[in-house]
Amino acid sequence: MFINRQNSFLYVILVVSVGYLISAVSLGAPIVDNGLTPSFFPILVGAAAILFATVLIVQSLRNPVENTKSDEPRTYTHLLVIAAIFVYIVAFRQIGYFISSTVFVFALILIFSRVEKLLLKAGISVLVVAICYVMFQKLFGVRLPTLWG
Amino acid sequence: MDFILLVFNSFSLLMDPFNLTYVVLGFLIGTIFAAIPGLTATLAMALLLPLTYTLSVETALMACASIYMAGMCGGSITATTINIPGAPSSMMTALDGYPMQQQGKGALALGHAALGSMFGGAVGALLLIAVAPFVAELSLLVKTTGKFSLLAFAIIVVVIAQRGRIPQAGLAACIGLMLATVGLDAMEPITRFTYGDSNLTAGIALMPVIIGTFAIAEVLMQAYEPTDDAATKAAASKVKIRRRDFIPPWSDIRKIGFMCYFKSCLIGYFVGTLPGAGGSMGSFLAYTETVRTSDEPETFGKGNPKGIVASESANNAVCGGAMVPMLTFGIPGDPITAIMLGVLVINGVQPGPQLMSDQAGMIAPMLAALLFSAVVLIPLTLYLIGPYFIKIVSIRKDVLYAVIALLAIVGSFVATYSTFQMFMALGMGILAFYLRRNGFPVITMLLGYILGPNLEEFLRRSLSLSNGDPTTFLTNLDSLFFVLLTLVFVYFLVIRKPATKSPADRSAS
Repeated sequence: MFINRQNSFLYVILVVSVGYLISAVSLGAPIVDNGLTPSFFPILVGAAAILFATVLIVQSLRNPVENTKSDEPRTYTHLLVIAAIFVYIVAFRQIGYFISSTVFVFALILIFSRVEKLLLKAGISVLVVAICYVMFQKLFGVRLPTLWG
Repeated sequence: MDFILLVFNSFSLLMDPFNLTYVVLGFLIGTIFAAIPGLTATLAMALLLPLTYTLSVETALMACASIYMAGMCGGSITATTINIPGAPSSMMTALDGYPMQQQGKGALALGHAALGSMFGGAVGALLLIAVAPFVAELSLLVKTTGKFSLLAFAIIVVVIAQRGRIPQAGLAACIGLMLATVGLDAMEPITRFTYGDSNLTAGIALMPVIIGTFAIAEVLMQAYEPTDDAATKAAASKVKIRRRDFIPPWSDIRKIGFMCYFKSCLIGYFVGTLPGAGGSMGSFLAYTETVRTSDEPETFGKGNPKGIVASESANNAVCGGAMVPMLTFGIPGDPITAIMLGVLVINGVQPGPQLMSDQAGMIAPMLAALLFSAVVLIPLTLYLIGPYFIKIVSIRKDVLYAVIALLAIVGSFVATYSTFQMFMALGMGILAFYLRRNGFPVITMLLGYILGPNLEEFLRRSLSLSNGDPTTFLTNLDSLFFVLLTLVFVYFLVIRKPATKSPADRSAS
C-alpha cells in the first residue's frame, strides 16, 4: 500500500518541499559572478527536504506493517479543537474579546470533558475570561478588542 | 572578574520587590507545569512570552531563569510520589524515588531530590558565571566563515543527536530553515515565498512559532492522546507527605558522598553545553556513571538515594551549561533556551558573540536569578509547599487546557494586534502537532528556524569574501576547528554508535 495514515503526512511534506523548491528556482540563478543569490540557500534547503522526505517514504514503504500498527488514532477531538480555535480567531475581532473568549473557553472545557454540569462550566468560563482580561488589559496594558470598538 | 562582580551586584536588582515577585511567580509556575504530567516548563515559558513585551528585558530574563530551574526539579515530584515523571529530565529520578516512596520514604526522597537539584543548579550557575565571559571572549575570535561552520555544527549535532530518527530530525530542521527564508532577503531587496501577502514581508515572527509549537501543539496532543488523568489522581490521593521528613539526615549525605554530587553536576553542565542534549541526557549519563562506579550497583533501582541525587544534580546543572552557547554564540541548546533567545530578539537585542561584552549588565541579573532559584527557591518551595505538591496533579485538566489555549491565542495577538499572527500561531500549532504525532523532533525545526537567517547570511558573506571558493571553510582556522568538531560528533554519534540507549531514544516522544 503506497498511501497510509503514517506516510500520507510525508507525502504532504514532500509536495510542499517540491513546491518550495520550484518557487526557489523561480527566484533566479543560484550563483551569479561567483556570488550566491537569494535563491541559492532555499534551493539547497528544498533539495535537502525532498531528500529526507524521500528517504522516510521509502522507509515507511519497506516497513508498512509496523507503521500501520503504530498509528491508530484514538480520537478526532484534536480536529474539534482546531475548528474551535479557527472560529475563535475569526470571531475575536468581530464580536470582541469577552463574548468570543467565553464561548471559546466553554467549548474547549466541553471538548475536554463530558457534556454535564453546564452551568458550572459556564460559570468557570466567565471567571477564566475575566481573570485573563484583568491580567492582559489591566496588569500588562494590552488593549483587547471589544464589541463596541 | 568584573563580570562575576556584576552578577553579584545584580542581586540588588533581583531583590527589588517587583522583580522578586516575577522570579518567585515564575518559579512557582515552572514547578506547577513541570509537576503535571504532560505539561512542561517550556510550555509555561511559551505562554508567558507575550507578557515579556510589557516587562523590562532584565525582569523577563530573570523570570525565565527561575522557570528554567523550576522546570528541571519540578518533574521529580510526580516521578517520586506516583512514578510518573512530570518532565522527561526526571525519568531517572523515578527509578529510585518511587521505590523509596513505596518504602514510606517519599518525603525523604523529595528532600534528596531537592538537595541534589539545589547543588546541581548552584554549581551549574556558578560555572556559567565563571566560564561564560571567557567563552564570550573566545567567541569574538570566530569570524564570518567560522560563524557559518559553528551554526552548521549546531544544527548537524542536534539532528544526529536524535538517534534512531535522524531523517525525521533532518526533515524537521529543513522545515525550520524553510520557514526562516520567508520574507525579505537579508542582503538584497527581494521578497521570498510571500506569494503577494504583505503580512509575510517581514517574515514569520518568532512569537507565533513558539506559541504554536509549544502551546497550541500541546493542547492538540492532549486532545488527541489524553493522559490517564484518573489513574494519576487515584495514585496521588494515596500519597501522604509530612514536612518534617523532607530534610535528609547528615549520615545519608555522607553516605552518598560529595563526589557523587560534584561529578553529576559536572556531567550535567557539560552535557548542557552540547546543542540538543538537554536535561534527560544529563541525568541519564550521570545516573549510569554513578551506578558504574558504585560499590553496590545492585541497590540502584530499589530506592538508593544516590540515584536520585545523581539524576537531579545533573539535570539542574544542565541549566547553567545550556546557557553557555546561547549567551556566547546565540545558539540555543534546548527549547527553553530557544525561548530565552526569543525574549532577547523580541526586545531588539541581537544574541551572539557581542552580547556578553556589550550587554553584560542585562545578562548578569538573569544569572543571579538562576543562582538564587537554585540556592533559595528550590529548598524554600519544598519546605513551604512541599506537602501540597502532589495535589497539583488534581487540577481540572479541561479547565487547564482551555486556559492554555486562551492564553496562547490571545498571547499571539499581543505582539502586533493582528489576527494574522493568531492564524499563524494556529498554523504552526497544527504543523508541530503533526510533526510530533509522526515522531519528528520539533526542537530541530525550531533550531532551524532560529539559526536559519544567520546560517544563510554567513554562508553568502563567506563565499562572497572568498570569491565563491568553498575551500574557505577549510583554510580558515576558526572554521576548520568547527568542521573537525562536526566530524568528531558525526563519528561518535552516527558511525560508532554507543552501546547504551539514552532515555530520549526510549521515550521517543
